[in-house]
Amino acid sequence: MRARLDATRVLLRIAFRNLVASRVRTVIIGLIVLVGALIVVVGSSMMESIDQGMRTSIQGSLGGQLQVYSSASEGQLELYGGIRGESLLEPIPDFARVKEVLGKVPNVKMIVPMGIDQALVATGNVFDVTLAKLREDVRQLQASPGDAEVRRGLEARKAHVQRLIALLAEELTQARVLVDPNGRDASLRKAQRADLDHAAVPAFWIEFDRDPLAGLEFLENKVTPLAMDSGFTFIRYVGTDVAAFMKAFELAEVAEGTAIPPGQRGILLGKQYAEEWLKLKNARRLDQIKDKRDRFHARIAKEEELQRWVKDTRSRAREILAQLDPLQAAEAERRLRPALEAPAGEELPALLARLFDLDDANFDRHYQVFYEQLAPMLRLYKISVGDVITIKAPGKTGAFNAVNVKVYGFIQYRGIEKSGIAGTTSVVDLQSFRDLYGYVTSDKAEELAKIRTQMGATQVSREEAEAALFGGEGPGRQVETTRAAAIDERQLLAGVGAKRKAAKAEETRAYTQEEIDHGVALNAAILLHDPGRIRESQAAVQAAADAAGLKLKVIDWEAASGMVGQFVLLLRGILIFAVIIFFGVALVIINNAMVMAALARVKEVGTMRAIGAQRRFVVGMLLVEIITVSVVFGLAGAALGGGVVAVIRATGGIPATSDLLFFLFSGPALLPRIGGTSVVASLVLVLGVAVASALYPAWIAMRVTPVEAMSTED
Amino acid sequence: MSIIQVRDVTKVYLLGKTQVHALRGVSLTVDKGEFLSVAGPSGSGKTTLLNLIGCVDTPTTGLVEVGGLDTSKLTERALTDLRLHQIGFIFQSFNLVQVLSVFQNIEFPLLLQGGLTKAERAARVNGLLEATGIGEYGRHRPSELSGGQRQRVAVARALVTRPALVLADEPTANLDSQTGQNIIDLMRDMNRKDGTTFIFSTHDPKVMAHASAIIRIADGLVAVRELVGATA
Repeated sequence: MRARLDATRVLLRIAFRNLVASRVRTVIIGLIVLVGALIVVVGSSMMESIDQGMRTSIQGSLGGQLQVYSSASEGQLELYGGIRGESLLEPIPDFARVKEVLGKVPNVKMIVPMGIDQALVATGNVFDVTLAKLREDVRQLQASPGDAEVRRGLEARKAHVQRLIALLAEELTQARVLVDPNGRDASLRKAQRADLDHAAVPAFWIEFDRDPLAGLEFLENKVTPLAMDSGFTFIRYVGTDVAAFMKAFELAEVAEGTAIPPGQRGILLGKQYAEEWLKLKNARRLDQIKDKRDRFHARIAKEEELQRWVKDTRSRAREILAQLDPLQAAEAERRLRPALEAPAGEELPALLARLFDLDDANFDRHYQVFYEQLAPMLRLYKISVGDVITIKAPGKTGAFNAVNVKVYGFIQYRGIEKSGIAGTTSVVDLQSFRDLYGYVTSDKAEELAKIRTQMGATQVSREEAEAALFGGEGPGRQVETTRAAAIDERQLLAGVGAKRKAAKAEETRAYTQEEIDHGVALNAAILLHDPGRIRESQAAVQAAADAAGLKLKVIDWEAASGMVGQFVLLLRGILIFAVIIFFGVALVIINNAMVMAALARVKEVGTMRAIGAQRRFVVGMLLVEIITVSVVFGLAGAALGGGVVAVIRATGGIPATSDLLFFLFSGPALLPRIGGTSVVASLVLVLGVAVASALYPAWIAMRVTPVEAMSTED
Repeated sequence: MSIIQVRDVTKVYLLGKTQVHALRGVSLTVDKGEFLSVAGPSGSGKTTLLNLIGCVDTPTTGLVEVGGLDTSKLTERALTDLRLHQIGFIFQSFNLVQVLSVFQNIEFPLLLQGGLTKAERAARVNGLLEATGIGEYGRHRPSELSGGQRQRVAVARALVTRPALVLADEPTANLDSQTGQNIIDLMRDMNRKDGTTFIFSTHDPKVMAHASAIIRIADGLVAVRELVGATA
């Protein structure tokens, strides 16, 4: 024992002194190890944060821990869409059965039915919206002709429309400058111009008072199409059992408005989506500039991007003008003048130009003025809470289906409000999804499946659907037309008093849990009591589904995230690849240095062996040297990495400068977090590589015989 | 009483593809307390013989017994132990551990052996430092010493474990003749005082003259063992 101790002591002494004696080599190896540890610690803590962000975003907003979908599906489930759009999934005909069977699997907490798709939403432009209000005013006046209040409202609305026409005319004149007046479509443009001019003259409005409905018709049919902003937008939605969804995804919250009442039809628009696509551009730009200034300390004077946004804001002031009727415009002037310290009598266009003439000195003040004075008078989002919107989507066979749903609010997810993943998908009730998708009940689904087999087509593609359409009375077509007809009818009825109420009744009807469960879903999210046992539960769920004869495929959230997950995987792959390359090179360099050291010390090692040192002594000596260097410099590198991470955190994280990064970081900045595992992993890795690179030199040392010490040549 | 028995030893090793017969049947007995010189031209096999006696190598055929043990029957580990406890080595180019001080170099084999207290080790090392005449250099590094002083350190290191046998391969070849003379004198002193057996190879006749016996080797065979009258 004592002998060992003495030998160990001298071994350590020689090893350490060797390290000091050959300090250049020590430092070179040390620095390689240090940089390696640094890379691993910083890289892995960033990766861990990205992972964590993704995990929270995906599991907490749409994914759950597991997802099931029909194993007969042609495509794979991709919760966030793939390169070719949404996944091609076979429907799960009766979700209730899935819920019943899988609900019994241990560790399964909840099962949430889903159907994800994209749809077209008519948002209406300002012109549309204003004309709709004008029509409402006209109707009210016709109902109570003597009401002075109603008359005043109508007059203000008329003035608003006239103003819109004036703005439109101005816009058209500007556009005309850019176009050859005698080119193609010249006659059409001339006719359009004539229509606009017709609506602008006082005579039209005198006629309007006499026959408002005819005037409205003219405006809606001839003038509205000239408005340049489109009235459609795409949304991505998940049709689901909304109550279950809100309960399962605890992070979900209604940002504005209210939750959809239990069992009722309705939609919650993704907050993130609304900000990006539905918000008034001026407001959006102001938000973006503020965000850049506040968090990244960007300055308008320095950043080209901010300057572009400011310019954009200025040029879009007209959109605000268009929204305000004369009464509102006057009120806006009254509010803006003192707030902007503008001279008395300055009118709204000039005031808006003043408001949006932004620089670093006035930005915060003007931002406040915009939101406090102007915003309450504006329609900030193209779709507002309380609106009933029409969603259209191609159904299973390519025919367009449509439903009207009420917008109850915006949905966002606590803690990951700015995530590019969560909050971009809107949430729709399951019944509306089923209407859009083209299936209503499991019976219908079965019927359809049967029909398809009868027809001998397993998958009805668009071409086939067309062929069926022109090829006479296929039974499959019948089903689709019935469905489409029902919806057309509803659309037609919308706007006509009595029958409108019937449609309203459907809109507000509460469906029972039974009705919600018994029907088609495309996939279902499974939430577990213990998310840590995901693998085990995946197998258990799959086994239960197989045993019950449910043709389901069970995948974890990562697989379900599709491209998103693969992207993270790719990123991790790149990091691992970089680490491997780095350590591969490090291995060669360290190995080389150690071999040189071992060869240079052949005589010394031989002497020690001759004097009576065992092989393990000299091997131990070499290993102690390399391990000491690795541990000391590895720890230093890890500490430095920790420092780098701390500095990154202290300075607000790595800013997400692009949409892609925003998405990856699950927010506007990446705040890397040092995990104990990443530090330990890096040290183990560094140590492993160092020891591996010392093995060959150690073997050389072991093979040195005492004879080498005896050799006389020096 | 013999400490070394060498009987009909041959040693063949491969140099590239050719077999080199370094020893062709050597027999030799070394008694305790001898101060033996192995002489012969280079390539005659004297280093090979010393390696076999020093348990650094084993014979192809024949018997080498060190302290009564047949070296060809010992494991690498046992051979190392035998070297550690029974044999001291002095090398032509001193072979000191550069990163250790003079004191630590001499102490080194004691630490490998273990078993002595720090004070015991210090007593032994200091005694040898004095005996070899380098008392004031204990804290120096080998690189700070002259060649002769370094070889004195090597002698002290070889003797510190009180081995039965000290092997020295051309211990004076890298020294000027006066210094070489001094080293031989030192070894001779130690031989006389403690009765330690010394075997050293040399081709310097003046060095040989100090030996109690000379073994002349040529072409892998012991040509003759002659006693040196002056020292007998």
